[in-house]
Amino acid sequence: MKRAFAALLIALVLGSCAKSDRKTHLYLQRFFGECGAEYGGSVDVSKAEGECGIITAMVNRFNAENPDIQIDVNVVAWPGYPQLTAQVAARDPPDLVTMHEGVISDYASKGLVEPVDNYLRAAEISPADFTEAARQGVTMYGHVYALPWDTHGGLFHVNTALFAKAGLMRGGKPVLPNSADELLQQARQFEKRTGKPYLIQSNVGDPAFAARNLYTYMMAQGAVLFPDAKHLKLNTPIGNAVANYFRRINFEKLGTQNMDTPAAIAAFVNGEGGIYPTGTWMIGSFEQEAQTPGRPLYKSYAVFPYPRLWGQRVEYVSGHSWVVPARKRTPQQRAAIARFFKFVAEHNYDWTRTGHIPAFKAVLADPRFNALPHRADIAPLASMGRPLPAYVLRQNAIEGIVGEEAAAAFTGQKSVPQALAVAEQRVDQLLATVE
Amino acid sequence: MAADLRRGRLGPLGWTGLVVGALIMLAPLVWTLLLSLKNNADLVGHSEAALHGPYTLRNYGTILGNSLTLRWLLNSAIVALGQTAGVLILASLAGYGFSRLDFPFRRPLFVFILIGLAIPSQAVILVQHQLFAWLHLHNSYPGLILPGLVGPFGVFFMTTYMRGIPRELDEAAMLDGASRWTIFWKIILPLTLPAQSTLAVFTFLGAWNDYWWPLISATHANMYTLTVGLAAAQMNYAQTSGLGYLMAQAVFASIPILIVYIIFQKQIVRAMAGTAVR
Repeated sequence: MKRAFAALLIALVLGSCAKSDRKTHLYLQRFFGECGAEYGGSVDVSKAEGECGIITAMVNRFNAENPDIQIDVNVVAWPGYPQLTAQVAARDPPDLVTMHEGVISDYASKGLVEPVDNYLRAAEISPADFTEAARQGVTMYGHVYALPWDTHGGLFHVNTALFAKAGLMRGGKPVLPNSADELLQQARQFEKRTGKPYLIQSNVGDPAFAARNLYTYMMAQGAVLFPDAKHLKLNTPIGNAVANYFRRINFEKLGTQNMDTPAAIAAFVNGEGGIYPTGTWMIGSFEQEAQTPGRPLYKSYAVFPYPRLWGQRVEYVSGHSWVVPARKRTPQQRAAIARFFKFVAEHNYDWTRTGHIPAFKAVLADPRFNALPHRADIAPLASMGRPLPAYVLRQNAIEGIVGEEAAAAFTGQKSVPQALAVAEQRVDQLLATVE
Repeated sequence: MAADLRRGRLGPLGWTGLVVGALIMLAPLVWTLLLSLKNNADLVGHSEAALHGPYTLRNYGTILGNSLTLRWLLNSAIVALGQTAGVLILASLAGYGFSRLDFPFRRPLFVFILIGLAIPSQAVILVQHQLFAWLHLHNSYPGLILPGLVGPFGVFFMTTYMRGIPRELDEAAMLDGASRWTIFWKIILPLTLPAQSTLAVFTFLGAWNDYWWPLISATHANMYTLTVGLAAAQMNYAQTSGLGYLMAQAVFASIPILIVYIIFQKQIVRAMAGTAVR
């Protein structure tokens, strides 16, 4: 027993000793999961699939192409911010971190992430190369604080077989509404002809769903959601109109009821409704269904940005980006970060195979991108996408609160003015505590 | 039924109740196991697909294919066993001191420790994290084990148990010339074995399942415990489309706990019954 224990201790000690080398080490922290079993040794980015596969193969490729640099990867549980905050507090943050654009301001406002202007210059990347949505998402306080990696937001995923049955196809494309009234009209027609709900909704345990709908259609009407850094304005005539509209969809049973995200995904895949408004990240899964003979979505899938129902064609979006937490670094490490930025910018097309919208204008115009399924249809998201203003901190927490209250309003658990007022009050209280 | 149970007999109604109860308890476990044996693609549309074949071990292969999974398993074992051993040693010593020794401020100190039971770990997490950062103990085994050793419950539990052991045993040993340490080590400690095993099981389970402290203290992948590592390995947003893999993770993480349960089931049942009676 004693010998076994001693052997274990020795093995642990030896296992903990890192081999020294002359490479410049960068410590990269990301979410998107762990898929070393499938892609651990892969450097062929073009053959990798899914977020995890593509990012894993990309980092492997970077290490292979840059023998003087070693990127050590740390995979964290999504979204990874509790760990990052803990690392910052312990003064041991990583060198590169994946971050949602809505979260950057939380760290940038306290100087916990570096502006990346110098890295971009060294990598010969100009912010003018970014799409409008991406540029807005990473620019704050007069600096660029991250290398944008994609834009993601809500899309109308459409079951074209059911749309055809409902008489809502023209020239092989689904007819999407161009006004709020038209959507109701089409939804009633859809329900009458197919016997199924027009919208598949995940109003249970998915605050992002309701928040996205409310933000998008309030922004489209020119509403200023955050007049300043400390206050949210939802309980307005525009806010009430949008919330009442989704409430009406529920009351008329034009949308599915009582579904969480997995249930809504299953419902769409099984052809139980016409449109599932959910994110860019589902394109890959749904397209796979669309290519599998015998499945309800087989050859019956199309996808578009949210249609214009009121005002402008604008949509609330976020994006993934790469930030550089503030810490002491050697010039070699700074040069290595710039080289990594250049590398990932050059591989932005590969990342768009995940379903996300590119962060670079050049990729939007790339024939390879437009040849990918549905990408030409969803590309407008890059120009119509609008993040929340950078001066708004705690955007993730706020989305949770707004989504919870909005879902309560949409489903009738609370009156619309009450839910919107409570959302304002809760968010204002939260923002009041933020320094 | 309680009377029947006391007599060791059960009528048909009792048996029916027990069987129904067991089935209700087992159903989610069997469901989890079946889901873990299915391809993710099969489950996207219908989770009922779990009720029929084909079944596959692919999800388990993916878990084991991750080069760090065994490391996380080892980390969890070291942390859970380390915490369990530490808690048993400290709680036994403290319990003996509080139950047998007279020293200044004994009662206020005991009350002070009991107050610890009322303080949630969340309330001290910031200070605790800062302290461990200052000591450079994050991403280390001591960093993962030490916070778990501060267990007011263990001290309270062992003190209460040792108070129930007659003092006459100590006195007889003293008359025979035994030292304090000998009395503790050779007389009192063996008598507390049932309490030790109960405390060990609770501590081990708590340490094995702990997520929060390892999440913020072990920030390097090679120091993750199994709970944090498996959560990090999830691939898509909220694992909305990889149900089989998610369930395989749950099954995999619970296997060691199942083994502990099988080995110590008598102690666990006794501990639960004891808790209920108290």
